[in-house]
Amino acid sequence: MTRGHRTFHRLLWPVLAVIVALGFTMALALRPPPEQPADSAKTRVNALMPEPK
Amino acid sequence: MSAGFSAVHWNRRKLIYDGILIAGVVLFIGTFMTLGAVRNPPADMPAWIGLRIKAFGTCAFVMLTIILTIGPLARLSPCFLPLLYNRRHFGVLTFLVALVHAYSVVDWFAVQGATADLMTEMVASPGYGKFIGFPIKALGLFGLTVLFLLAATSHDFWLAFLTPRIWKALHMALYVAYGVLVMHVALGLMQENRRLFVPIFLGGSFALVALLHIAAAWREREAAQQHDGWLVVGPPDSIPEKKARIVTAPGGERIAVFRDGNQIGALTNLCAHQNGPLGEGCIVNGLVTCPWHGYEYRLEDGCAPPPFTEKLATYRVRLRDGVIEVDPHALPPGTKAAIHIGSG
Repeated sequence: MTRGHRTFHRLLWPVLAVIVALGFTMALALRPPPEQPADSAKTRVNALMPEPK
Repeated sequence: MSAGFSAVHWNRRKLIYDGILIAGVVLFIGTFMTLGAVRNPPADMPAWIGLRIKAFGTCAFVMLTIILTIGPLARLSPCFLPLLYNRRHFGVLTFLVALVHAYSVVDWFAVQGATADLMTEMVASPGYGKFIGFPIKALGLFGLTVLFLLAATSHDFWLAFLTPRIWKALHMALYVAYGVLVMHVALGLMQENRRLFVPIFLGGSFALVALLHIAAAWREREAAQQHDGWLVVGPPDSIPEKKARIVTAPGGERIAVFRDGNQIGALTNLCAHQNGPLGEGCIVNGLVTCPWHGYEYRLEDGCAPPPFTEKLATYRVRLRDGVIEVDPHALPPGTKAAIHIGSG
């Protein structure tokens, strides 16, 4: 590896690493929420509803 | 070329390396497929192909991660050098495993008569304008293309034809391919599979590669102690007999400091033939011998023995307070610079 390669390597790696780390974090943060089973969704809605008087 | 040249062909060490490599791949894919089929038995042919896609894809990603860790590991400890010598075969096998993964994707669409859908997704997907929903197959195809280019040019013929400088620059594209393939998994499998294991595995692999590179660079910087601008190598005995210690100059240039009895000399770590790592070679019959193709150089002046004409840059060496030091400024190739110390 020559000095030119090494300089390029040193520049390329941090830039690439930051871009990929950012992309990975965004992909993780923007993951769609898991689908709730129908029954539990229903229970949750029921829990929010006021009890009939 | 120099005396005693012999091109590196198949040898016992390479055969063992390749045998272990192939056994590892078969074991990984076999275990993955078996566990996958036991835990969630595939109901039909597309489900089986889906399992194959995951098995080969995961295997290729793990292999690529290992390949990228070998370089910094070898810089951190010589124990890992044997992994470095046959890394090109590792790369070619990684491409083949990735190719089976890609073929399986096409197969998955084909058995359902939906090949046109695959083409539409690749060419005219609305997801190209989005982040989540970006066509991951396009990312995978890019990674596969880079792996193909690197595998196809991995032979020594291409190293000689393209010149080491261009060849090395081309092979740097592996880092770009790795980054793209991390996103291929992050926008693909990680979006579908909600298990915590997927981001831990993916992020952990990427972090491992990044941290090892940082650690190797840090270690080299730490090791490069200086006295009046001279790099400290260590006591003469710290240099293995007929071998070298490699020190790194502030500009990043690696210098191989060899000891042959009571003679100590410093040469550039780059072989004049194909930039092979000279400092990982040894002294045979009084000549520094490159581990890649056996090119030979005299320690005292970096010249290949007659009738050959290759010359290496040398570096001034001195013994100061029982410690060998090297001047990081290269001398013109072929300049005598080795010293003789009192005891060896």
